[in-house]
Amino acid sequence: MPRPTWRLSGRLSGRLSGRLSGRLSGRLSGRLAWRDSLRLAWHLPWPPQWNTARRHLPALAVLLLAAACGGEQQDKSSTEAAAGGTLRIPLINDPIFDPVIANDLGSILPNKLIFPGLVRPDEQLRPVPDLAESWTVSDDGLHATFKLRAGVTWHDGAPFSAEDVKFTFDQVLDLASGSRLRSDFAAIERVVVNDSLTVTFDFHAPFAPFLTLLGYNAGIIPKHLLQGAPLTDATDFNRRQPVGTGPFMVTDVTPGASVTLARYPRYHGPAPKLDRIVFKVVPDLNAQVAQLRAGELDIITLEPGNLASVQGVPGVVVLQVPVVQHYYVGLNVQRPAFRSAAVRRALGMAVNRQAIIDGVLRGYADLPRGTIPVALADYYAADLAPTPYAPDSTLAILAQAGWHRGEGGLLRDASGAPFAFELLLDKGNPTREQAALSVQQDLRRIGITVTLRTMEFAALVRDRVLPGTFDATLIWWTTPPDPDQYAFYHTGQDNNNVRWSNPVADSLLALGRATLDVKRRQAIYHEFQRIELADPPVMVLFYPREIQAVSSRLVGFPALGIRDALRHSERFALRVR
Amino acid sequence: MAGFLLRRLGHAFLVMLVVCTVTFGIVHAAPGGPSLLADPKLSIAERAAIAERLGIDRPVPEQYVRWLVRVARGDLGHSFLYETSTVSTIMARLPATLLLAGTALLLTIVVAVPVAARCADRPGGWLDRIASAVALGAISVPVFWLGILAILAFAVHAGVLPAGGSATAGGDFSLLDRLRHLVLPAIVLASAGTAELFRYTRESAAIQRTRPFVRTARAKGVPESAVRWRHAMRNAYIPVVTVIGLQLPRLVGGAAITETVFSWPGMGRLGIEAALARDYPLIMGITLLVSVGVLLASLLVDLAYVALDPRVRPDA
Repeated sequence: MPRPTWRLSGRLSGRLSGRLSGRLSGRLSGRLAWRDSLRLAWHLPWPPQWNTARRHLPALAVLLLAAACGGEQQDKSSTEAAAGGTLRIPLINDPIFDPVIANDLGSILPNKLIFPGLVRPDEQLRPVPDLAESWTVSDDGLHATFKLRAGVTWHDGAPFSAEDVKFTFDQVLDLASGSRLRSDFAAIERVVVNDSLTVTFDFHAPFAPFLTLLGYNAGIIPKHLLQGAPLTDATDFNRRQPVGTGPFMVTDVTPGASVTLARYPRYHGPAPKLDRIVFKVVPDLNAQVAQLRAGELDIITLEPGNLASVQGVPGVVVLQVPVVQHYYVGLNVQRPAFRSAAVRRALGMAVNRQAIIDGVLRGYADLPRGTIPVALADYYAADLAPTPYAPDSTLAILAQAGWHRGEGGLLRDASGAPFAFELLLDKGNPTREQAALSVQQDLRRIGITVTLRTMEFAALVRDRVLPGTFDATLIWWTTPPDPDQYAFYHTGQDNNNVRWSNPVADSLLALGRATLDVKRRQAIYHEFQRIELADPPVMVLFYPREIQAVSSRLVGFPALGIRDALRHSERFALRVR
Repeated sequence: MAGFLLRRLGHAFLVMLVVCTVTFGIVHAAPGGPSLLADPKLSIAERAAIAERLGIDRPVPEQYVRWLVRVARGDLGHSFLYETSTVSTIMARLPATLLLAGTALLLTIVVAVPVAARCADRPGGWLDRIASAVALGAISVPVFWLGILAILAFAVHAGVLPAGGSATAGGDFSLLDRLRHLVLPAIVLASAGTAELFRYTRESAAIQRTRPFVRTARAKGVPESAVRWRHAMRNAYIPVVTVIGLQLPRLVGGAAITETVFSWPGMGRLGIEAALARDYPLIMGITLLVSVGVLLASLLVDLAYVALDPRVRPDA
């Protein structure tokens, strides 16, 4: 199958990345082929060459307007000042209203409003009460008992009770229900209803991330409406008529277009300030930017490359929040070249991460230490020195591992074979494509040949990453706000795609998820990050920050990533202009 | 006539079978597979459970036969993405696409044919030059680019028309609101087709106007407007009808892009979504529907020939 060559897109991305050579930039600007501009306009913010075009647009607009619209005008300000107001947020796809079976972003966002969990994260990402009023955990960590808030009702008026909690987690644990949360909660042995407002979770083993996970995606769903059939079969509920306990309830669903939520008058918490929240289905990021600028959306999240299109726009504020993600180059430890920890560390020293953060991410990211991101303030090891950028000192390390510089400055082993590997990444995201280019160039400088190959994300994951048939891949993890990374880096876990194995790390990861005491957990994960710096499981490139472009009318929006912020929707309000 | 129709329907059925088989083969051969399985966080057991629930753990030929049998019973299966019936998913989005494509097609015909007829009167005249230049521009500009430009001009800068959607989200129904949302996407979607139709019609009309029967009509003293519309254009319409028939697949393809740029809740965008997510039942459902539409359109084109030109006989 013919594949677009990397060379083309590489040159293009190079044109846009601040840190790549100016020679290429000069050569390409002003003479983009159609195919290139198609690629650009589809995936990137307004290309810079449009700035000239935009200057002439108002004149053009007036001209065409007279012909096309017959002077039809509408006073924009009159639609903007309703009391209470309507907040408009984009979705990239139509949601499935059920937090247990839907794990795509388009579903997660509205479900955060409709279906609260027992707890929710505060601005430090620590769990605070939501549907549960209080909780106790037994000393052995095997039982957690939750006292539920009294007087909570479902949007259809039925009372909320411990039976709903038990039902939800029974479904979570049942693969036949279509559950997508089972691996998060596999530590639960069973859920026991003590009385209508008290519920106890019994665990196979102590499980420290439990509270965090409860506030993450585990919204509680109504037993009285969903029992008796697989959750995936409840089409009316999932697509049109969801019933939750949250501050906003769904009043209208227009497929492909919008989901309208109205304030739930009997909400158990403080009365929501907004009248309505409307989710608009706008799959294209450029279209989202245009709608934000036209005043048809109030909050969007951006890629660094889109910043220029929202900066300096009146009425739009750009915010940034560290999120619980780490972006990395996973080096397949089963490949002989990557078996040695020293070699993996040397590769990390050869890559200028600060330059990637400054150039590709425009500074909207943080320099990594281990794999635990800055956003987890309680656990991030700020005191450890990050892997230095020291390309020159890598040569000695690589020489010890048997790689010597030969002809053309290329690294070769004793048999003369060059140090070369293929780096896979997903197609169509300019940030990751530019980051991969930087890695390629940095490693070329020390004599390692990296071939970049883009694939569709699904193909990348299913055909290469999961079966382990890759040399290296640029990918990322989005995790719940807990330091537990057992599933990703413990020996033999399904999600340990690079097949990293470190016995000390294994025992720390096992201990970390079984230790409830925060102080002791901090020490455990500090040690884990120290080990990661010496024996890197993956080459972490950066911890991204979520870039939010928000209407300046919006107040009460907590400094959290949009997913977590939506757990606090009753506090949102719109200022009248 | 009945024999003609029967034969055409037989052909159409065969074409659809081929289209479905090829599409089914291609979408299953495409790398990656359903996006539901592409979540790197899934465990092996979860992955197996999902594959079994969707029925994609079976061999592809078996899946195809199962699909054909279901289709024969009128059941297009469940969409992977939407966890609901494929038919209702498509039907929820079809009206928006029909409205957009229909308006665009209407615009195309209403603008292109009269302008082309005028231009053919005086090839090289000022109207002809302007219209030909605009048409060349409209054909050359990609739909998505024109769309974004239109949004920038009319929604972001001028603020007179909405930037996207088919109605104000969460608002009550209002005809004016619907029309305001329809203006930009319909014009953008119609632009390339209008230009194409204009060029064909103009050529065709210009040729007819040099034919002897036109001169004869003029010599008989037939008024100029009757010469144009009754004599020249009537003959010019035959290739024009073909081009209009060919607009349908173009409208479907163009609609997918236009709908994405304008966040229009139609079927074209649904098709893109389904293709990207490898939602096999939904892809097949849309393919089936679109091929029925295209085949129907070409049948209508053939019938239009008969109506326009007595020399064309369906049974011949």
